[in-house]
Parts: sequence; structure tokens; C-alpha cells
Amino acid sequence: MKKTEYIKLIDTTRCTACRGCQVACKQWNEMPASRTRNFGSYQNPPDLQWNTWTLIRFQEYADKNGDFKWLFRKDGCMHCTEAACIKVCPSGALYHTDYGTVALNRSACIGCKACVSACPFDIPRYNQATDKIYKCDLCYTRLHEGQKPACVLSCPTGAITIGEKKAMIEAAYNRVAKLDGKATVYGDKFVGGTHVMYILSENPAAYDKLPSNPKVPASVILWKNLFKPFTLIGMGAVAGMAALHYLIKGPHEVHEKKEGGEHDV
Amino acid sequence: MSDTVRDMVRVTDPIERISHWLLAGSCLFCLFTGLGFMFRTWGFIPSLLGGLYALKWMHIFSGVVFGFALVHAYTMWRKDCAFEPDDAQWIKQGGGYLWKTSSLPPVYKYNAGQKLFFWFVVVFGVLIVLTGLVMWNPLAFPVAVARWSYALHALSALVIGSFFVVHLYLGTIGNPGTFQAMTTGWCSRAWCETHCPRWLADHYKKPE
Repeated sequence: MKKTEYIKLIDTTRCTACRGCQVACKQWNEMPASRTRNFGSYQNPPDLQWNTWTLIRFQEYADKNGDFKWLFRKDGCMHCTEAACIKVCPSGALYHTDYGTVALNRSACIGCKACVSACPFDIPRYNQATDKIYKCDLCYTRLHEGQKPACVLSCPTGAITIGEKKAMIEAAYNRVAKLDGKATVYGDKFVGGTHVMYILSENPAAYDKLPSNPKVPASVILWKNLFKPFTLIGMGAVAGMAALHYLIKGPHEVHEKKEGGEHDV
Repeated sequence: MSDTVRDMVRVTDPIERISHWLLAGSCLFCLFTGLGFMFRTWGFIPSLLGGLYALKWMHIFSGVVFGFALVHAYTMWRKDCAFEPDDAQWIKQGGGYLWKTSSLPPVYKYNAGQKLFFWFVVVFGVLIVLTGLVMWNPLAFPVAVARWSYALHALSALVIGSFFVVHLYLGTIGNPGTFQAMTTGWCSRAWCETHCPRWLADHYKKPE
């Protein structure tokens, strides 16, 4: 039986960018840190890494009226319902859990990297040393034991919450109704609904590296829904036609003289 | 070279046969292992070959062999497979394979169908090798290039796989006496008169 679908809601209007979630994630998943270089931002590491599954993005943003803002966004796997990564994964290492989230059975991963380019959110990261893929699994083992994900537990402002799907979507819209006009809910309207949702203080287009209308790439749909079945259909049809040709026309026998006008082959 | 005792003609040299089987063997192995990635339910393929991870490296290795064999086959056969005006007529008559037809235009070394197969393998072979190289390290390319490489790789496999079945049929039971062209290299004079009369006339004199 399908268990309850969960949604993790990230309220960016409550985020202070303390990065407690980043640290808690590393700690729980036992991921080491990598040395980085300061590139003029508090954002560190500069991007998601194989060993950094969630990252607070620091973005300096000026709106149309010239009002300057600092936008914080906790980036990480969105846990799509129509997950392109699962669609392309040849080993079944990426899979949907009973909670609707996207988990990764790393021992099955063969490091083909197909999920990396398929993901509309650019989330999976590859580690050359292990030849495997890494990403957030929404603390599947913790959910399994009735615990909150590490990032949720660590958040001091209550910006990250988790709960049953319907209640969380409702909570998201209630919260946005109380905020000013620009605030939006992000996550329920595409890729079948994501299991990580945002309350954004600005329009989604204002955020770096956040697609306004994410979808399973057209190339993935062509590949998996058309070319894949037609590989078998094509080869099977041709084999069938060859068999029919052999039965109806028979093999093309050798003939000594060609200059005989009409001939039945 | 011709063998007047058995009335046989040598239609391929050893280099052609080795190149053909290198190309065919690596192509078939890639197709077989590729189906193992494409259909997760066909677990017997990775099971036979030591698991999916081993399959990945075998597929890549075999693909590299295919790439080199393809370049060699191209340089070796492109002249024999250049189209000529009569080929259109041959195609119009379905090569005499599909319906009752009048005499076909006499073929030189390869008929228009064989030429078509050759050029399809060259074009989609190049495509499948190039996209395969991108898929080997997709992170080194822009995301759009990486994404479309996967789709075009699958499309090329579909095309090459389907043409392979035609080639297999016509090269074996569909045309008795043909398979030897790629094993011993010797075919009967009558076979040559049927399949490559102009080439035969150019290269060999009929025994007195």
C-alpha cells in the first residue's frame, strides 16, 4: 500500500541563510567538505557538489523599483512526481519511495550520468572517485523511522517544514495569502508536482538557477517514449517482413544468364 | 584470382573480411549490451556479462572498436559504394526482390540496396559514435548537447538495428551462396553473374 506522500515546504521569506540545513545535511549523510575559493559571496560552496546535497544560494537582487534585496534559496532535489532522472536511469538506482520522494540506491548506480543532464533542476552530481551519482534523498531512512529530515530539524526559524502533501500545499497557499503580492507558491504546477515546494518572496524568474516552467526535457520524452519502443518494433517488423518474404517469394536464387528479358526472382 | 577447377571467383580480400567482421561484431555487441541498458526488465543481458557496471565499460569499449572499424570500412568501401545513375532504376524495381520485374540494370560490385545500407551505417554510425562520446562524459558539454545526444544515440540504434536485420536476411538465407563472400571470400561464377556482372566482366575472363 502506498504510504502518505510528503512535501517539504521551504519558506524563503523566513530563511535567514544561516546554513544550518547545509551543515545538518552533511553531518547526517556523513559527507566531507571540500576546500573552496571565495568568489565574493557568502554562498559556499559555489554550487551543489557530490558531497553537498543542499546549498543556500545567496543572490543580490534589485527589483523594478530599484529596491535592493538579498534573496536566499535553499537549493536541492525537488523530488518530482514525473522525475526525468528516474525515466532515464538504466539501473533502477533512482526510484520513487512510498513517500513520493526520489531516492537513490547507490550500490545499483553504474555512473552513466544520464540523470545529470536529464534533470530540469540540475541537481544530481557525479563523483569521479566512486563513479557514482549523489543527491538528496529527503532523508529516506529518517522518514522511514518517523523522523524529520536533518535539514528540517536543524532550521531555527521554521522556514523548512514537512508534512502530508495536501496539508502542505494548503499551508503554502495560506502563507502566500498573508504575504505581499509578489510572493508565490512554487512546485505544485509542473512535473506532476514536486515533493519539495517553495514559498518565494519574488517571481520565480527572479531567482538564479530556478526554472520558471520546469519539465521533463523533450529529448528524454522522444528517447524513452518513441525511440525506445520503436527499437523493438522496428527490428521485429523487419524480421517479420523478412520471414514473410522468405515464405512468399522464397530466396533469390542464382541464375547463369541475365540477358533473358523478364524473369521472376 | 579465380579458381577455374571449381569455377569460383574470389570476391573479397582478407582485409575486407576482417574489417567487415570487426565492424559487425562490435556493432552487434553494442546492440546487445545497449538493449541491456534500454530495457531494465531484460536483466538476463547484464547477468550474462557480469552486471550493468561491467556492461557499461564493455559497451564503451566495443563502441570505440566500432568507431575505428567504421572509419576503416568507410575508406575501404566508399568508392565501391558511390552511387551511379543506374542505381535509381534498381531502387525503382525494388531490386527485383519484391515483385515480378523486367531485367535490372547490371550491377558493378554492389547493388543500390547494398550501397544504401552502407551509407546508412556510415551516417548513423558516425552519429552513434559521436553521441556515444558525448554520453561517455556528458558533463563536459552544454546541457542541450548532452540531452540530445541520448535521444540521437537511441534513434541511431533503432535505424542501424533495423537495417542490420535486413542485411542479415539478404546476406544469408535470402540469397543462397552469398554468405561465403564474407567467410572464405569465394563465390561461384554464376553468383557473380547474378549479383555483380559488370565487376566480373571487368576483373575476370571466362575460362575457355
